[in-house]
Amino acid sequence: MINRRHFLQNAACGFGGLAFHSLAQATALPSSVIHFPAKAKRVIFLFMAGGPSQPDLFDPKPYIQRKHGEKVTPPINDHLLRTGVDQFLALAPGAPVRPRGESGMMISDLLPHMATVADDLCLLRAMHADSKSHPTATMQLHTGAIAEARPTMGSWIGYGLGSENEDLPGYITIHPPADVRTYGAGFLPAAYQGTPLTVPKDDKTSAIQYLTDTQGDTNAQRARLQFLQGMNRRLLDRYQTEPQMEGLISAFEMAYRMQVSAPELVDISNESKPTQELYGIGEGATDRNGKACLLARRLSEAGVRFVQVTFDGWDHHGDIRTALPRSCDGSDKPVAGLIKDLKNRGMLDDTLVLWTGEFGRSPWSQDLSGTSPIEKHGREHQQESFCTILAGGGIKPGLTYGATDDFGFLPISGKIHMHDLHATILHQLGLNHERLTYRHAGRDYRLTDVYGRVVKEILV
Amino acid sequence: MKRTSTAALRWAITGVILVAHGGALFAATAAPAAASFFKTAIVPILEQRCYECHSHESGKAKGGLVLDARSGWARGGDSGPAIIPKQPNNSLLIDAVRYGNVDTQMPPTGKLSESEISLLEQWVSMGAPDPRQADVGVVKKGIDIEAGRKHWAFQPVQNTVLPSVKDTSWPLDEADHFLLARLEQDNLHPAPDTDRHTWLRRATLDLTGLPPTPEEVHAFIADDSEEAFAKVTDRLLSSRAFGERWARHWLDLTGYADQVGTANSVAAADGWRYRDYLVDAFNADKAFDRFVREQIAGDLIPGGTVAERAAAIIATGFLLLGDIDIANSDKDQMRVDVTDQQVSKVGTAFLGLTLGCARCHDHKFDPIPVEDYYALAGIFQSTDSTYKINRGVWSMVRTRDLPETEAQQSTRAGLTNKHNAQIAAWKEQREASRKLAEALKPGSEERKQHDAKIRDLNRRIEHAEYVAPSIPQAIAVSDVAAPSDMYITIRGNPHALGKEVPRGFLQVASYSPPNKIPVEQSGRLELANWIASRENPLTARVTINRIWQKLFGEGLVRSVDYFGLRGETPSHPALLDHLAERFVGNGWSQKKLIRDLVLSRAYRMSGSYGSRAAAFDPDNRLHWRMNPQRLDAESIRDSHFAVSGKLQHSSGGPALALEYMENLNGLDPKNVNPPGFSLGTYHPGQKQQRTLYLPIMRYGPQPGPANVRNLFDFTQPASMTGQRAITAVPTQALFLMNSDELKQRASELADRLAVISNNTTVRIQQLWLLAYGRPISDEEQEKTLHFLGTDDFNWIQLCHALLASNEFLMRL
Repeated sequence: MINRRHFLQNAACGFGGLAFHSLAQATALPSSVIHFPAKAKRVIFLFMAGGPSQPDLFDPKPYIQRKHGEKVTPPINDHLLRTGVDQFLALAPGAPVRPRGESGMMISDLLPHMATVADDLCLLRAMHADSKSHPTATMQLHTGAIAEARPTMGSWIGYGLGSENEDLPGYITIHPPADVRTYGAGFLPAAYQGTPLTVPKDDKTSAIQYLTDTQGDTNAQRARLQFLQGMNRRLLDRYQTEPQMEGLISAFEMAYRMQVSAPELVDISNESKPTQELYGIGEGATDRNGKACLLARRLSEAGVRFVQVTFDGWDHHGDIRTALPRSCDGSDKPVAGLIKDLKNRGMLDDTLVLWTGEFGRSPWSQDLSGTSPIEKHGREHQQESFCTILAGGGIKPGLTYGATDDFGFLPISGKIHMHDLHATILHQLGLNHERLTYRHAGRDYRLTDVYGRVVKEILV
Repeated sequence: MKRTSTAALRWAITGVILVAHGGALFAATAAPAAASFFKTAIVPILEQRCYECHSHESGKAKGGLVLDARSGWARGGDSGPAIIPKQPNNSLLIDAVRYGNVDTQMPPTGKLSESEISLLEQWVSMGAPDPRQADVGVVKKGIDIEAGRKHWAFQPVQNTVLPSVKDTSWPLDEADHFLLARLEQDNLHPAPDTDRHTWLRRATLDLTGLPPTPEEVHAFIADDSEEAFAKVTDRLLSSRAFGERWARHWLDLTGYADQVGTANSVAAADGWRYRDYLVDAFNADKAFDRFVREQIAGDLIPGGTVAERAAAIIATGFLLLGDIDIANSDKDQMRVDVTDQQVSKVGTAFLGLTLGCARCHDHKFDPIPVEDYYALAGIFQSTDSTYKINRGVWSMVRTRDLPETEAQQSTRAGLTNKHNAQIAAWKEQREASRKLAEALKPGSEERKQHDAKIRDLNRRIEHAEYVAPSIPQAIAVSDVAAPSDMYITIRGNPHALGKEVPRGFLQVASYSPPNKIPVEQSGRLELANWIASRENPLTARVTINRIWQKLFGEGLVRSVDYFGLRGETPSHPALLDHLAERFVGNGWSQKKLIRDLVLSRAYRMSGSYGSRAAAFDPDNRLHWRMNPQRLDAESIRDSHFAVSGKLQHSSGGPALALEYMENLNGLDPKNVNPPGFSLGTYHPGQKQQRTLYLPIMRYGPQPGPANVRNLFDFTQPASMTGQRAITAVPTQALFLMNSDELKQRASELADRLAVISNNTTVRIQQLWLLAYGRPISDEEQEKTLHFLGTDDFNWIQLCHALLASNEFLMRL
């Protein structure tokens, strides 16, 4: 204890001290927690919030195409209430879905850029989850559990692997969902929670909340902090040692350094023009998401273990034939650009990219008004089956895995539950999902609860 | 829903068969041909597609089922026998491989081929010949309740004898004897008394969540009588601020938010009544046993004044103000999930147990069989908690009318008249505009103006009708029309039912035959009486331990929410029982216990490290010093406001300002979603009130004025936690360094000082009293004068530094 305090007192402007539950302590787990050789060092999670329409994008069915506008009788589970789908009218995709690349992976014309990297992707077509409403399904995707505020995937990974860069949080979420529990640490120490980041609109807005002194007087700020830390250290002297005091002292030191390091990192002006264009930066539809994806790459490069980018606007209950192309336009080039950029830099090998919604959408239509023509209908949520994409990080490229029935409703092979996806992601990072546990309220908790199977079939 | 009930029935029937037929009936029937069919056709399927999750070799028995022994499928798993020989259509295994029920498709990774399925069907039709005799045994152990009672927490509270101590001058309260005797056992000494300034700030923050004022500091220091400490304690306990702080502690155990569920922003418009109920209950020192009864079964308690009856109904909001998924499209699932949350909440808050674990199986560590869970769950299943509303898939939590006094009724009548008059006036204006508009040419400027006015009036009228004065409502429960026992739900799935369990309580914590639950009632009142009984070994212990933890930083049992077998053992078991007994003996008075503890010697100890004890017990398990504590989010914000002089008083009331039209949307009844609220406008002065009174969101971040909650370890209102984490992360430091909020407080504080005096030294001395509750030292004064220099701007910088400093943010 004495050494630790001594170190803190001497760390004049460094922050390397072992703080009480501080970020620096994110390395606290013994390295023995690595259970297998890791194929991936980091994760980039592209969250398509709202539930992208897999019948339109990746899993079209001839039967639905044939029956377009007619009633179908799927084997539905009738203990669920439904709104606006009582007719079960088949709704064909609004745009062609074709085989791409050498692998022949089925991808819609709505995603022309992603189609060009098909051979780098692994398409999981028989994903399923347990909830049909956004908040609970989103929680299951992020934490494995439907209710409660459990630790998120990124927190578990930070807890298991520690940080690669002590100047930065190990878990950053760009344009996060409104629900703070999607980047919370749950019962894990707050050091493992996600730090929200927004791509700054201009020089005056800051990427991380309170990152900059709005009065902009850096000298005054430094003088104030020196005075403050002086008082803090004298108080600590009186108490000899006190982890909470040490924690706050060290948090100030790191915050002070983040003020310098974070703005540099989020400044993409020194990225080359071709790189920016690759992500669609500068184009109206893709500028915001393009910058977010480029930032995700920069943060990953800098050693951030888990970066999430959220893409809103996939919840197409109505007029999906107009609305879906817009969502695709906004995300297609940034996502494909990220894959290409990671590959060009040799980072795709040890970066696991995850593209998914919290669920998918029904192959039959939904019409909340009850009066629209079929062409103006949308699709209802569907957790029984949906599509997820993985890329890099030791996942088989060009593989299409799993299949659904003639409706595109129930999985018939290669079924993967959300828990299985989590188990597989942890596995690629060298973590055994059954052994990565944290004791809370007398019980050892896991990301995968009591479930989860590593999907070995999709691993290289 | 027909399908559902037949499915449920089928599961229930197989449960009965389990009881009727029991073990293996067909052991001797396997003819050699059949045996070879089994070996060549069936075993490979089982090996390749089932054993990974259902065999001894893999060590996995998912759903409690193994298939590598005949006894495995005969006994079956959680849902009963997997195979009924000769009845493929009644065999769960066949149903599962046919993918008949979405919830139980096997193997989960992909359906078997048609030929494999038909081989299995054929085998079952043959009578499922299975020559594998070995019973490798997954005999359910069952739970030995008597053995479970040996765990300390399930033992009755013991009579304790005051231990003798060597240093008889140290103890002030009987509790001190227990602590000192334990320390003396190891030749350790307690930390010396802290100085009086530190004690006053400590007690004031612990009891009220606010720092002492300079006047309060002066008064206490000037009073050198023996009673000075008691006088301060009594003053703090009788302040409104006491209830405001301790109500918040209780709210942490409830998942309270001003929002219902998490999907969309549905207002829990009447939730505040429960929060105010808590403030009043703590301030009135409501006996804890009564407090328990009201929160579980207040609606069933007879008698009392109008105000008492209203309070008791409001109290049952405890059961509803948690995270309930009202948008769940599976209403059966929703109902059992709400029940689960109520069982878990009662278990955590009052009993310190994780009862939710026994929902799917016998508790893994604690002597709580799955039947005990469903005995309790039946009580809440018989409680009316939610109802389907006429919007999409949505439900809503129940509200109840509250009894009114005559005075309240006449006030409301007056308000209603005024309100109706306003609506009538608007309707008249609307009618007038309509007439005018009809006469005008469509598309003309004038016509557009009238149309806009009509739209505006429509909105006003819609909103006014929505927020019209009504009989006061509370979010509260009542019994359902036909209370009943509950069926075990397999893994929490209401479409897969096991056997029925009579309503009742936890066997392991029962020491006399419990009161019978009347057939026509839910049993909540009997449950409440069982919990709020001096015979219950958990209730008093859990409660006094929570109080101890709030005052001393750590509980005598450190796992404050969990007293089960995997929890921490008490550091001072006799002290725990002594306090539990004292608490019950004093009429379950929380104030009395808090007063005694605040006046103990232990509470006067300094928080500094003593070298010998520190080396022996660095974690302070023996309580040889006070644990310094970083303030919680509410105290940090409230203290900043208090010191800057801008804190506004509140007497409670609605958290959401729904009376402002702009705060409500989606009122149109045709909408598939319920109306939502936003937080654009606050009540006048609300943003300067204590954090307790600011709206609490479950879904998004806590709103701007309470942003400090997002940073300093506020309990997310989706969970129930008796003790908050205390963490230190850079985002907190960034807030303290750069936020406009704190700069604003610093500037207000500087203004406040400027008014006090022109004299720099007087001002600094006052600043130290305000922020730290103590005089400034000479060294500090010198450094501060140096820092201030001559620039007036530096006063704000100085105030800012103090408001962000450890001494301010901690209670020492």
